[in-house]
Amino acid sequence: MKKTLLLAFLFFGSMESMAAVGAPCGDYGECDTFKPELNNMESLQLGALTFINHCYGCHSLKYSRWGRVSEDLDIPEDIFIDNLVFGTNVKLGDRMMGSMKPAVSETWFGIAPPDLTLVTRLHGSDWVYSYLRTFYEDSSKPYGVNNMVYPGAAMPNALASLQGQQILSCKDIPIIASNGGVRRDEFGNDITEKKCGYLKTIEGSGSLSVQEFDEVIFNLVNFMTYIGEPSRSDRERMGWYAILFFVVFTSFAYLLFREYQKDYH
Amino acid sequence: MEEKITTRRKVLIGMTSAVGAVGASFAVVPFIASWNPSAKAKAVGGPVKVDVSKMQIGQKIQVAWRKQPVFVIRHSKEALESLSKVESKLDDPSSLKIDEPYRDINPTRSTSQEYTVIAGVCTHLGCAPKYYPEIESQPWDESWVGGFFCPCHGSMFDIVGRVFKGVPAPTNLKVPPHYFDGNILTIGEERGTA
Amino acid sequence: MTQKSSGFFNWINARLPIVNTYERHLSKHPVPKKVNFWYMFGALASVVLIIQIVSGIWLMFGYENTEEGAFASIEYIMRDIEYGWIIRYMHTTGASMFFAVVYLHMFRGLLYGSYHKPRELVWVFGMTIYLVMMAEGFLGYVLPYGQMSYWGAQVIISLFGAIPYIGESLEIWVRGDYYISGATISRFFALHVVALPLILIALVFMHLVALHEVGAGNPEGVDIEKHIDENGVPLDSVPFFPYKVLNALVAIGIFGIVFSIIMFFFPEGGGYMLELANFEEANPLSTPEHIAPVWYYSPYYAMLRAVPDKLGGLVVMGAAIAILFVVPWLDRSKAASIRYKGILSKIAMTIFIISWLMLAWLGTVPVTALRTTLSIIGTVIYFAFFLLMPIYTSIEKTKPVPERL
Repeated sequence: MKKTLLLAFLFFGSMESMAAVGAPCGDYGECDTFKPELNNMESLQLGALTFINHCYGCHSLKYSRWGRVSEDLDIPEDIFIDNLVFGTNVKLGDRMMGSMKPAVSETWFGIAPPDLTLVTRLHGSDWVYSYLRTFYEDSSKPYGVNNMVYPGAAMPNALASLQGQQILSCKDIPIIASNGGVRRDEFGNDITEKKCGYLKTIEGSGSLSVQEFDEVIFNLVNFMTYIGEPSRSDRERMGWYAILFFVVFTSFAYLLFREYQKDYH
Repeated sequence: MEEKITTRRKVLIGMTSAVGAVGASFAVVPFIASWNPSAKAKAVGGPVKVDVSKMQIGQKIQVAWRKQPVFVIRHSKEALESLSKVESKLDDPSSLKIDEPYRDINPTRSTSQEYTVIAGVCTHLGCAPKYYPEIESQPWDESWVGGFFCPCHGSMFDIVGRVFKGVPAPTNLKVPPHYFDGNILTIGEERGTA
Repeated sequence: MTQKSSGFFNWINARLPIVNTYERHLSKHPVPKKVNFWYMFGALASVVLIIQIVSGIWLMFGYENTEEGAFASIEYIMRDIEYGWIIRYMHTTGASMFFAVVYLHMFRGLLYGSYHKPRELVWVFGMTIYLVMMAEGFLGYVLPYGQMSYWGAQVIISLFGAIPYIGESLEIWVRGDYYISGATISRFFALHVVALPLILIALVFMHLVALHEVGAGNPEGVDIEKHIDENGVPLDSVPFFPYKVLNALVAIGIFGIVFSIIMFFFPEGGGYMLELANFEEANPLSTPEHIAPVWYYSPYYAMLRAVPDKLGGLVVMGAAIAILFVVPWLDRSKAASIRYKGILSKIAMTIFIISWLMLAWLGTVPVTALRTTLSIIGTVIYFAFFLLMPIYTSIEKTKPVPERL
């Protein structure tokens, strides 16, 4: 019995780890890990603000309702309406349908910008977190930028004013010798080789430092993770109670079973 | 093999059943709660606004709130002054039997001195009463003083929706939450709650 | 029980055999006293069936069976309906757990020879249940109308196209359209929520009636009916109530822990229970990069892909399921349980388990040349296990089966 349980745990454990590998980030390789903080209200609120200011112009969140966001993120309704709600005549019960008509955006971008309610569930939060940080200057593309995670993405870098210019650059990388150490020349200096394809932000070209920008993206993706499944933090909280219940129930049932087993054992 | 019910067994049966019952009662919560109006229904059933400045004196308009009729009536001064005269015919003239939201503020039962706002749903079995403002003899009442008559089961109410004695409807017509902002009437919420 | 109430029950029982049926099939039904945890999965399967029926009814309150509304209605259930997400995850987790429990239940049957005389019909009814479940699971998976619903259904329905002459028109007939549209969804919905569940419940009923006629087996393969007391009750049995009910309660408790862990913490099952591509609405013009069935079909999907011929693949897949029906007549061994079977059976069983798990894995990953070779090997082993069964079970030397449990 114990063995089977252990096996079951291992089985589902390995399924989870396999899923994490399942979203490779294009030219970027492995995605950066994103660990959501769904109970960090400040992060979610800042993320919501970033989304509304920088993304909502083109992308809707059509399965979500304004009022639910205000309620779940602990934002008082008047502050929420003044600072976040896009467009007049929007009621809190309305869905977040975006502020651009699909026909207009199609002529702008060639395709209608997708709805983003479920994007973190479709691609994974890791993917979205990496994607938003890997735009780089590429004059051959219509918007002057390309993306490492999703090469050829038909989207400008909406957060360029914060991030600044990011370019692909080359770096001198130490060559690792067969013994695992860094290979050196006869003077004891490290032997390096030039490798390209590294992302580099031009300092001072954006309003935020790299760390600050990463934090903005963290909050944004945290919010997008929330909007993908607004009940997730409830789900995980209630899960502990459900497990606790079944553990207690099983214990009593087991004692009772042992007691009655005496009759025929 | 004999099945013996010892004290230990009784206690364990009790404990297991109690824990099981607690679990079962939590488990039914989602199934019951999911029958409540969804966020969509609540959004559709949100407050409605109506401009009442264009209403004639004595006119009744019908507004749909939560897909239910709400009657708004603009009364003349005379009509309001005559309200106290019919009180002897009424079952509950001061609306003591129901949870009246704006009791003793205005004779109109609303937050306005001129308009009455009442749910057009008969408190008997839910039909929509019809408005007969004229003071004249009617088939159902020879000394009709104006008010609402329900065609389904013959309940009668006065012009502010108070029920007459001796009719099937048990209570006065309900007053929905509402407020006036100048000439704009909002039905479905109290002032300052949104 | 007081005199008064027994009078009432007598009155009822004279008109409707409630008490007799209750005693015969539940309270006094004799069950082998020594069984192991493998014998709990049947009870668990009926628990999951109830979970699926109840949560399914509740999902119908919010689901919309139209092409335009289906996908959005799932998000409506997940967000706008109070606790709708619990009900949906209960159903999706339940679907996977149903198959998990049934696979373990079937494996128990193979392991301890539960299909041996006189339980052949019990096995055949069980296999029919499994077949209907596979159809039920497939239909249900199409209903959310996500990308994986669409393209999974596209692949499965295209299989009908492999049937010579009528294939192509059959495909259109099944869909009721030239693509998987609202017409397909509404018929799949009706079949998923009414037609197949009715058949399923009827089959479960037959499975249980047939089982209670011949009595449950045990891991030793001992025939407990040989030694009975003066009332005709087998000596090595205990009444179902309360003894086996308590067994079942413990099993349900443990199952509840596992179910809760998955449902509340891994509802997507790492993309194997709810595939990530299904979080995008169906788009008939763009296929997702990797199409894989949910895990419970994957061994058969691997077999389908192993055969480089459309009709051949379909035939192999169908045969793989069909062959399970005749297992009672393939096993010639004197001993029912693997414990008393010979070495050949034990080796065959071990290789079979390994190759089945390998096929299950292969069905979920993209094709490579090596994987196709492995799939072919796995498929051959799968069929060899069953087709060679009459030979290795009759030539091997079995150990004597004990008289008593």
